[in-house]
Amino acid sequence: MTGRDLAERRGMETNVYQPAEDSALLAEAVVDHARGRFLEVGTGSGWVAEQAARKADVDCVVASDVNPHACESARKRGEKLRAEGHLGIEAVRANLVNPFRDGSFDTVAFNPPYLPTDPDNEWDDWMEHALSGGESGRKFLNPFVDEVGRILTDGGRVLLLVSSLTGFDEVTERVESRGFDYETVVQESYPFETLSVLQLTK
Amino acid sequence: MKESLMDILCDPLDKSDLELKVTERDGDEIITGRLVGTVTGEEYPIEDGIPNLLPPDMRDAE
Repeated sequence: MTGRDLAERRGMETNVYQPAEDSALLAEAVVDHARGRFLEVGTGSGWVAEQAARKADVDCVVASDVNPHACESARKRGEKLRAEGHLGIEAVRANLVNPFRDGSFDTVAFNPPYLPTDPDNEWDDWMEHALSGGESGRKFLNPFVDEVGRILTDGGRVLLLVSSLTGFDEVTERVESRGFDYETVVQESYPFETLSVLQLTK
Repeated sequence: MKESLMDILCDPLDKSDLELKVTERDGDEIITGRLVGTVTGEEYPIEDGIPNLLPPDMRDAE
C-alpha cells in the first residue's frame, strides 16, 4: 500500500494529517503518562497536543511541525482551548527537536511519518511528508531518537508511536543504543499493522 | 507565541541564545517579529504568532 492509497482510504484532506488510529493510540498514552512541560513533535492538526492541554498535571503545551499549515491548525486549536479556559498550544515551526533548549521538556510525544516508501513512488506534497518515512520507514524516527534525550528534563519521558511496518526490533535497538529504557504502554493490532506506543526513559 | 517561550527556544544551528525583536504584540502574545541568533546572526521570522525556526537551508528550499 502506498502512502497515497492510505491517504485516500482515510479520506484525508491533502495539507494537514488528520487524527487517525495511530493518533488515537498516542493520545491514549498521553492522557495516561504526559505531565509537566509537554512537546508534541510533528503535531499535524494538533489533536494529540489538545489532549495534553486538557490534563491537569500538564502545565505547558508546545506543538511543532515542519508544515506551516499544521502549525496554523495547532495554533487555532490552542486559541479555542484557551477561550474555553484550558491551557493553550504554542505552535513552533521546526525540524524535529532542533530549536529547543537542553532539558526543556518533561514529556515529548512523537508519531513519526513511518510508511516505508519506494523513492520512485514518492509524491511531493505536505501529505507525503506527513506519511512517508523513507525507504526504511525510519527516516525521521532515527534522528529523533538520536537527539530527543538532549531536550528532556531529568526523569523526563518520551512517548513514541511505532508501527510494525516501521520495524519494531530496529526501533528498540536504536532506542537502547541511545541509552533509553523502554516499555510498551499501549498496543493495538489492525489488519495492516500493529501499533505500539513506547515510553522511553533514561 | 507567548514571550515565555523564549525560555525553551534556541538557535537551531548551534543551540545558542536567541534575541527577541517584537514588531507587533497583542497582550503577552507576540504576533509578528524576529528571533535573532546571538552567535550566528541568523534571523528567524515570527508571523501570525508562529515562530519559524527551521534552519535556513530548509527554509530556503521552499
